[in-house]
Amino acid sequence: MRLVSGAVSAFAEATSDYQRLLTIVARSAAEVIGDICTVVLLDDAGDLYTRAMFTTDPSIEALLTSLVDVPIRAAEPSIAWNVMASGQAAFVPKLDLEAVRGRMAPRNYELFRAVGVHSLIVAPMRVRGTALGVVAMWRHLPGRDAYDDLDLELTQDLANHAALAISNARLVEALRHSEQVKSAEQAAVRANQFLDAIVEHIPDMVFVKDANRLAFTRFNRAGELLLGVPRAALIGKTDYDLFPADEAAFFQAKDRETLSAKQLVEIAEEPIQTQQGKRWLHTKKVPILDDDGTPVYLLGISHDITARKLADEELRAAKEQAEQASKELETFSYSVAHDLRAPLRGIDGFSQALLDDYGDRLDEVGLDYLARVRKLAQHMAELIDDLLALSRVTRAELARERVELSALARAAAARLQRLEPDRQIDLVIEPGLMVDADSRLLSIALDNLLGNAWKFTSKVAAARIELGTEVTASGRAFFIRDNGAGFDIQYVHKLFGVFQRLHSATEFPGTGIGLATVARIIHRHRGRVWAEGAPGQGATFYFTLGDPETA
Amino acid sequence: MTDRVILLVEDNENDEVLTLRALKKSNIVNRVVVARDGAEALDYVFARGTYANRPPGDVPQVILLDLKLPKVDGLEVLRAIRADERTRLLPVVVLTSSVEEQDLIKSYGLGANSYVRKPVDFNQFVEAVRQLGLYWLVINQPVP
Repeated sequence: MRLVSGAVSAFAEATSDYQRLLTIVARSAAEVIGDICTVVLLDDAGDLYTRAMFTTDPSIEALLTSLVDVPIRAAEPSIAWNVMASGQAAFVPKLDLEAVRGRMAPRNYELFRAVGVHSLIVAPMRVRGTALGVVAMWRHLPGRDAYDDLDLELTQDLANHAALAISNARLVEALRHSEQVKSAEQAAVRANQFLDAIVEHIPDMVFVKDANRLAFTRFNRAGELLLGVPRAALIGKTDYDLFPADEAAFFQAKDRETLSAKQLVEIAEEPIQTQQGKRWLHTKKVPILDDDGTPVYLLGISHDITARKLADEELRAAKEQAEQASKELETFSYSVAHDLRAPLRGIDGFSQALLDDYGDRLDEVGLDYLARVRKLAQHMAELIDDLLALSRVTRAELARERVELSALARAAAARLQRLEPDRQIDLVIEPGLMVDADSRLLSIALDNLLGNAWKFTSKVAAARIELGTEVTASGRAFFIRDNGAGFDIQYVHKLFGVFQRLHSATEFPGTGIGLATVARIIHRHRGRVWAEGAPGQGATFYFTLGDPETA
Repeated sequence: MTDRVILLVEDNENDEVLTLRALKKSNIVNRVVVARDGAEALDYVFARGTYANRPPGDVPQVILLDLKLPKVDGLEVLRAIRADERTRLLPVVVLTSSVEEQDLIKSYGLGANSYVRKPVDFNQFVEAVRQLGLYWLVINQPVP
């Protein structure tokens, strides 16, 4: 009994290791009761298997090992199944093998014969009325007594304890397993919650639809806010439940396209009717495939581009308006060019005709008046021409190219010299000044700037005009300096305005449009233009052209 | 030389008077036919409509063509003249107020022989007309 108790206490410790427990049962029984013990257990499929075996006789160990893990079917005749069914131990102190042959599996009969089993106990292992298996004790050693009642009692006691221990071990196992499952479940829940939190806080609308019905299965906060509808009212619904039919048809067509192509589909701009009115979305749709590559879900991510879209539309409208205005200006300019000049031609022409044909009938005052009429008509023609030039400068496309400013300036000076071949001017142009500019516009600016210098030095004895570069607060700037009439710096703000003149027409003729044209050309180049001067001390005009070298 | 006709296409009466005066002052005494719109100009050129009975010899030696015209504008007149085998080679001088680059390009593109902007200064206008007359009526050898 002491030995059995020792074995039983070992069971309690062994509960954490199921196989070791069975081995201990078999070994304890074999050593204490003798000679051979097998532990047979019922598995989930309803078959009996010998799961552990122990013998004190090494010579038959190999033979017995062949029993282990071989099923004993319920359909076959076997002592073990009889014991299982009856719940009563089989006690055969003197085994007449031939007498029980019909009640045994043929395999076991052969084995019993080979081993020479002469005494047998097969005790059921039962817990709370459930049969777990059997403990079988065999004696085979020659000279050993047959099993007696004490052996039977011991075996049954051992089987009972073993059954309890096995049951406990199974419970522990099941518990451990269920805990593992639970912790795996918890981990999955945590991972899911983490993903949920991410999806929930993505500032773009995120939604998921099932691949069959295209019903919404998931929506994030940004989606609720965008549509102005709580999630509960969205889940399970399709686009047709939520949006106008044409929109819904479009959305679903894109969904189907995504699912059948099994790749991302991007919708750069899609209008959507929401509770807050029409919005514009930039949407990407992605199919979510199962392991076989069959689409099961559709994931959508929509970025609200309404603000940008509105800005684009405003920009386009403004651009159209500007283009319209520019077209109107062009028509206007054309009329100015054509229609305003025609009467002037008449005024001048008929004045001249009057002078030619009736000049002899007019006195000097009359002739002077007619001369003034002609001069005024011609001045007005000049004004019109200059205004047209100014409007052309505004309308022209800016075509920057690498161009030599010095060469453009020399050409402009040559044109001026041709108009007044007798003027003697000391002209100094810094050679090799390269710029990135629109050469046509720059030529017009130089015509005006050099033309001014030319004009305002007309009353100076030794006229000098200089073009060069200087480092200024605005970076490298070009300058055109003359030693002519100059101007009063307090009126400098009026210099670049249209029709603004700082000199009277009798002093220096002009239309007051030239410097406005220059300013417009420079500004179109994103450059700066400014002037310095003093009455009687000449003027200097500075400009930059907004290119990297001069900026 | 003097028997050859100049066709002046001009809708502005003042410009017509001034142009005729400028021609006279330039000692150009050719007969001048004035058409006051593009349709009338084409009628004369192709001897149809009111000009159906004009003598066949009165083919203009040069056409002075304004661009801005009622009914059919100057560029259309030019296109029609150049499109017809009979008048393909007629000298056409565009005489206009316009300095629009587009008008210049279109005129030459359609086969204008010259493009002259009418100056406001009458004396410059006379000079321009004198040079035109000298070239197209005296120096230039017409197509036989």
